Amino acid sequence: MSNYHKNILVVEDDPQIKNFICYSLKQAEFRYITAHTAQDALSHLISEQIDIMLLDLGLPDFDGMDVIKKVREWSDLPIIVVSARDQDSEKAAALDLGADDYLTKPFSATELMARIRVAVRHLHMHGKENQQGALTVGGLTIEMDKHLVYLDNKELHVTPMEYSLLSLLFKNIGKVLTTSAILKEIWGVGYGNDTQALRALMAGLRRKIEKNPAKPRYIITEIGVGYRLVDE
Amino acid sequence: MSEKKKFSVKGIVQRVILTVLLLSGASAIGYFFGWTGFPETNIVITYLLAVHMIAWLTDGFLWGIFSSIIATFLFNYFFTEPYLTFSVNDPSYIITFVIMTIVALITSTIASHAKKSAVDARQKEAETKAVYNLTNHLTDADNMQDIVGFAIGEISEYLGCQAACLCFQENGTPEDFFMQHRSDHKQIRREIEDAKEIKHRMEQLRTGYEIGSEFYDWPIYGYEKMLGMVRIPIKTAQTMSTAQTRLLRSMIESVALAMDRLRASELHNRSREETVQERYRANLLRAISHDLRTPLSGIMGTSEMIMDMSGQDDPRYNLASAIHKDADWLHSLVENILSLTRLQEGKLILNKQPEAVEEVLAGAIERISKQWPEYEIDVSMPDELLMIPMDAKLIRQVLINLLDNAIKHTLPDGDIRISVEKAENLHFAVFKIADSGSGISQEDLPHLFQMFYTSRTQIVDAKHGIGLGLTICDAIIKAHGGTIEAKNRIDRTGAEFTFTLPMEVQMHEQLS
Repeated sequence: MSNYHKNILVVEDDPQIKNFICYSLKQAEFRYITAHTAQDALSHLISEQIDIMLLDLGLPDFDGMDVIKKVREWSDLPIIVVSARDQDSEKAAALDLGADDYLTKPFSATELMARIRVAVRHLHMHGKENQQGALTVGGLTIEMDKHLVYLDNKELHVTPMEYSLLSLLFKNIGKVLTTSAILKEIWGVGYGNDTQALRALMAGLRRKIEKNPAKPRYIITEIGVGYRLVDE
Repeated sequence: MSEKKKFSVKGIVQRVILTVLLLSGASAIGYFFGWTGFPETNIVITYLLAVHMIAWLTDGFLWGIFSSIIATFLFNYFFTEPYLTFSVNDPSYIITFVIMTIVALITSTIASHAKKSAVDARQKEAETKAVYNLTNHLTDADNMQDIVGFAIGEISEYLGCQAACLCFQENGTPEDFFMQHRSDHKQIRREIEDAKEIKHRMEQLRTGYEIGSEFYDWPIYGYEKMLGMVRIPIKTAQTMSTAQTRLLRSMIESVALAMDRLRASELHNRSREETVQERYRANLLRAISHDLRTPLSGIMGTSEMIMDMSGQDDPRYNLASAIHKDADWLHSLVENILSLTRLQEGKLILNKQPEAVEEVLAGAIERISKQWPEYEIDVSMPDELLMIPMDAKLIRQVLINLLDNAIKHTLPDGDIRISVEKAENLHFAVFKIADSGSGISQEDLPHLFQMFYTSRTQIVDAKHGIGLGLTICDAIIKAHGGTIEAKNRIDRTGAEFTFTLPMEVQMHEQLS
């Protein structure tokens, strides 16, 4: 499937940034339509087949957060937030509401395209429900059905907790998982906000899979927000 | 006041004169009645009237008894046969004398009782009025001066003196002046030098008041601590009755309540104001950062677009690339200015949480590597997980600024290294960022962290910036309770920046 079949909705009210995003999308041969208000965006989403949405949070009519909330009521299309707001709490809120990714302005075309590529791959993965087989990133492979992890073709010993953390990241490959989402998923609801425990668990896992935890190859920390397993 | 008069010589003389006058008056009227041939019962009644008046006009119970006995003797002396002797011919007069004495006694007792309760009632009324006026005024007072003014005014009026009041500030230190009531329309401000010492003495106090050279000082105890003292001039204080003392205490009590209420409402207002300001500031910063980032991303994106449209050898590529670099530089300046504004508000509340050092390092290195892909950064850190309480975003900003600074002074194949380790005493984590540039000149070393300091020995251009980066590092690290310093490397040329962060949460976390 070529990029041309993917229809991307660009919701952005700043003309310069819209131009720049559209140019980059055209270069990569995506189809796109633009909307400059939340109302516009919603009507496009209802009337047309949209595959991915790029969403600015500061829109003239409604807040982008409301758009995410509304869209998530009926659709799980990938939403990439593109915003000049850089508060961690807002990033985490957008992600917890169901946004798939968050890009802070100013950003480069390369960065944007990388995020869109991840979203496109998700569309494919989603179609196949390939959650039982083996997933690979670089030299790191996880076999979901056998609960095994391989690093550079050698079996890697991980604790059950480390395994569930890694498999959670693999299931959401390329996506930022907020700290609270991870805590809820691994420790369960009601465990509270013991981010310390998660940090310790992450540090342990990193020491097994990364050559240098300060220059991670696989698991990237989004400071103040959460973690992401790189997808390239 | 009445008790005071009772014992003064002047008072006794007055009473004696009054008694003599009234009794002689009664005797004179008696003579007149005897001369005109009125029955002598009238004379007895006249004496009783005189006794009654004496008991009423003087206030002593004793005076009443005394005068009733005298009256009986006078009647006996002047009006019963044989005249002008204390003997009596008709024994039935003995009964008259006894009854007359008893009646006189009862009358005088009742009179002096009535007098006393009238005085009591007046005093009660004065007390009630004083307390009422005071509380009434205190309710209206909305600042300390008013409270003090009303308090000393009412106390002075009640005690008939020139009372004064010394206030303590909110942090407990006494003011260096006190207010004194002089007259109804005049209150003066008097300097005081040994206020601290007085306060200290007051704190050791075991009795109700402290005796000074000019005043008796009564402490004003608030809900939590001493709020000040009411000063009563020695002369008045020494002669105060227990009732007055009691009332003074309750007045001071009211003053304390009013002061507490004022302090509480001031505190409340202040914190509400602060919250509003805090919200306003946060909104402003957010708006500014948003409004600066949006056009910057437009500029950066568009220049990137132009770079993409033109080939590398096209002169337009270089122009666009220059725009992009400058915009990028502007972007980092904006980030720094925003952090600085936050820090310089002086009341930065750090969002301190234990953070894994490796994650913060990785965050900074990722950002720098994206910007300067041609540079390799060497990292060394302990194998164990280091968790340090910090505001991760601010510390990342410090690392980014220091790495950026290192890169700007080093060639791409140079040696840029960052290391983290625990200090020997285990209380601090030590971060070192070293480059292999030309190092820092001795002239610049002492000024590096000053705001807007730009190297004197190097040519200033956009790449060197306006020297905000290091100032921010300094402010952030100090806000964390750490230290930062710069020096030249010993092993080779190049600069080395070292900063420390406390491993444990400290008590004094705020930027002073």
